[in-house]
Amino acid sequence: MATESLGEFELIVLLASLRLGPDEAYTVSIAADITQRTRRPVRRANVYTTLQRLESKGLVTTRLGDARPERGGRPRRLVTVTRTGLAAVRAATNAIQAMVGGLDIVQGRA
Amino acid sequence: MRGNVPRWCNALLAWAAPRDQADEAIGDLEEAHQRRVARRGRRLAGVLTALEAVDVAVALLRERWRRRGTMDGTAARGSFGARISLLDFKLGFRMLAKYPGLTVVGGLAIALGIAVGAFAFELAAQVMHPRLPLPDGDRIVALRLWHRQANGVEEQSLHDFIGWRESVKSIEELGAYRDVDRNLVTRAGQSMALRMAEMTASGFRLAGVRPLLGRVLEESDEQLGAPPVVVIGERVWRTQFNRDPAVLGQTVRLGGVETTMIGVMPESFGFPVFHSAWAPLRIAALDSRPRRGTQLHVFGRLAPGISLDEAQAELRLLGERAAADMPETHEHLRPEVMAYTRAFFTVSWRTVMTSAYAAQLGVLLFLILVCANVATLVFARTAARESEMVLRSALGASRGRIVSQILAETLVLGGVGALVGLSITNFGVRIVLGLLQDAGLRLPFWIRTSLAPTTVLYAVLLTFIAAVIAGAVPALKVTRGLAHRLRQAAVGGADLKFGKLWTGLIVTQVALTVIFMALTIDAQQDMARGHAMRLGFPARQFLSAQLEIDRMTAAAEAAEVPYTEAELAHYRATFDAVEQRLAADPAIATVTYTANFPGSYHTTHRIEVDGASGSSHIVQRARVGLKYFDALGVPPVAGRGFRTGDLGSSAGRPTGDDALGTAVIVNESFVRQVFGGGNPIGRHVRYLCHAEQCGFDRSAARTDKREPWLEIIGIVPDIAMTGDPDLLRMNLPGMYHPWQPGDAYWARIAVRVRGDPRAFAPRLRAITTAVDPSVRIEQVMTLEDLYELELRAYDFAFRGALLASAIVLLLSVAGTYSIMSFTVSRRTREIGIRSALGADPRRIVLAIFSRALAQVMAGVLAGTVLLLVMMRGIQSRQGALIVLLPVCIMLAVCALACVVPTRRALRIEPTAALREG
Repeated sequence: MATESLGEFELIVLLASLRLGPDEAYTVSIAADITQRTRRPVRRANVYTTLQRLESKGLVTTRLGDARPERGGRPRRLVTVTRTGLAAVRAATNAIQAMVGGLDIVQGRA
Repeated sequence: MRGNVPRWCNALLAWAAPRDQADEAIGDLEEAHQRRVARRGRRLAGVLTALEAVDVAVALLRERWRRRGTMDGTAARGSFGARISLLDFKLGFRMLAKYPGLTVVGGLAIALGIAVGAFAFELAAQVMHPRLPLPDGDRIVALRLWHRQANGVEEQSLHDFIGWRESVKSIEELGAYRDVDRNLVTRAGQSMALRMAEMTASGFRLAGVRPLLGRVLEESDEQLGAPPVVVIGERVWRTQFNRDPAVLGQTVRLGGVETTMIGVMPESFGFPVFHSAWAPLRIAALDSRPRRGTQLHVFGRLAPGISLDEAQAELRLLGERAAADMPETHEHLRPEVMAYTRAFFTVSWRTVMTSAYAAQLGVLLFLILVCANVATLVFARTAARESEMVLRSALGASRGRIVSQILAETLVLGGVGALVGLSITNFGVRIVLGLLQDAGLRLPFWIRTSLAPTTVLYAVLLTFIAAVIAGAVPALKVTRGLAHRLRQAAVGGADLKFGKLWTGLIVTQVALTVIFMALTIDAQQDMARGHAMRLGFPARQFLSAQLEIDRMTAAAEAAEVPYTEAELAHYRATFDAVEQRLAADPAIATVTYTANFPGSYHTTHRIEVDGASGSSHIVQRARVGLKYFDALGVPPVAGRGFRTGDLGSSAGRPTGDDALGTAVIVNESFVRQVFGGGNPIGRHVRYLCHAEQCGFDRSAARTDKREPWLEIIGIVPDIAMTGDPDLLRMNLPGMYHPWQPGDAYWARIAVRVRGDPRAFAPRLRAITTAVDPSVRIEQVMTLEDLYELELRAYDFAFRGALLASAIVLLLSVAGTYSIMSFTVSRRTREIGIRSALGADPRRIVLAIFSRALAQVMAGVLAGTVLLLVMMRGIQSRQGALIVLLPVCIMLAVCALACVVPTRRALRIEPTAALREG
């Protein structure tokens, strides 16, 4: 089965979800993680739509978490990356590494 | 610190998100908001959260539309929401430049609609749902007693406040204040009238605002016997003490009592409402029997974790207990707790909400009407681009795609209109608040001069509504049957025409234009009448002011008991002393007291004359000082002036309103209108009723109540009485009663100054303060300035009416022009054939334009009939002008709008027309 090709932001959202893990990855934490690591502002609206698209492609699944007081007693929708999602991430990162390999100018050595 | 996400944000997300994900989306928003509150503070966090809610909602909706398009197979051509692209908006901007007429007329019309809508929304938001700019402002509440039988607020609530303070658990920092007016006199002798709050110390804790200098009030200051202290506001500190930091510990005379200043509050601080100085509320000195004593306002903050409903439940219980314990005073009283600002409405909240919703509905209807007019123009433009539509359809564009493009074009137009409209609203809000302040109204500290973010969002919503009505509706109509026309390879079919809906719109629009113009002419006449009114004496040489003296005891002031003889004697002596000191000043030519200034509000009454039973007259009435006419330089032309013996008695009356005496002086208009120019001296008149109550209609039913006869002792020339242009048009005769200050705690004074009267204002204050430091002196201005102030509201109303009229007229002209142009372009072939067959050009023009002309005539007729109904027929030459002028203007401009299309129709060459067909 051919792996799903990913857009740049889709890849970043999947990487953030993997890093946070299935018990801590949800919209707010994913947006915060991306902002912290990439040092670029992320609109939560974009994270929402990206997660919806990833879910419709079968790259992530979601489930309801526990309710929390800081959320006004509302639950979180936790994100788990599926095997297909993981394969898509691997394929995308491999492709990037393959393209970057040997390009000193990109790796900052030139 | 914890802040709440605005409720409308949650509602927006609940609507936009998929049903099974709404709860989590709202939870995310809440969590993100709390993080922002911790990082950036409540105010900024609120704005950012609102913006994010809109952003997320738009993204979720776009995703839903995109998915729906994918599911129903239209994704390749784009779903409705996703169809509008950046290119469409670029084309929309191009259209603005390509059709400047539509851009200006349509843009202005939408701007007007949005300006009116946003203004009404902002007003409602500021009045009904203001945000208190205080920490946890949304948890600050007011407590009051509601009298169910009287259906009103019971303000004598000190007894209940004391009980609540001991027993209520759900509300913290329970406190109270009462309004007092005092004169503050500095050691240098400068004086300033202050609206103060006597407030419990808890008010400062509740507001949580730190003083600029010194300290705020403490509980120990409230004890009987504690030294008198006051906290002053920044404005007082700036204007009276030149920001001197050494004011702390200094004393000032406050209402005649030496009082120590202990603190200065920032300029933005006005809690509880609009106060500029604060003294401790000493409850022990006040009458605390049930439903007796002072008017009190109670406030507090909801305890942590307690909702408004829970607090209300506790108060209800206390109310029931009080009703059982004290049925004679509390049987009909129910304690209420509510959002702080809501307590300032003395009618029920349901009445307020109903009025607000009715106003919003009216505004929405107005916007729909305006946009429907713009839709007429868009329809004509879109119909003119029919060939472009057919071509695009041939190249594969769906109907939805074409409609989306037209919608995007009107969204751009609406966006430009919204920007202009919001600017108008912002300007209007500032003007209205400025007018209110100029009129002497003090605005609550929570009133803003800038627009709320929610108002901007509401304007965005109105823009969408406007774009859908003005763009999507005509687009759907034009693109109906596009595929059929494509198959027929024909453009300009007879099926594309203005239908009944547009006809109705144009008729309504023309009728409204006639009415708007009539209202504008009426407002202009009012304004011109006001400006043209001659005051009848050199008003610019007179400096005027209102003087007020404190009641002799706090208890008398609090309970508003009738004046004692001692108090009245004190008032009389003080006002006499002020008059003597002023008269002795070399800069002063004359001095007079009066209860009514010329050019300001006067009461109107119905009177009857002796020997003329059965007929009555409406007159305006003034109460003036004994030397009033001489001081103004207009002595009586016949009879005599007032003497001390003409005065009535006012002892024991709370206001002295009815102490009129038995002698009156009338003006020359009175002589002409009531006595037909005959001699009235020695004749008698008497009051029947207040005209405000029994009506201005001369044939109105008369009352049985008869007042004493009054003798006419003199005639004076006409000088200004009322300044109300509505009453000025009635040219009411005037009657004067003798009056002298001292029958109440206040008096109005006018002094004729040798030289510049404005420059005398500080001296007037100094002289008054020297007589009695507790006398407050307010509204110091020349009599001419006072009258100009009265007229400013009418000027503003006229400008608003003029703007609305101009835009509605422009819409009518543009609509008529569109119909004519459209008709010519549709019937080019027919015109050509008729010309070829030798038809008379005049008959061709009449045949083609008859429908449009009939619509204009129908509109003019409908507008005229409505006007006549509103005016109850034409009763004067001015009334005829108000009706005829708009009709003539309307017919003239519609005729002008027909000129270009008519010339175009008459220039059609038969050969060219047949070739085109």
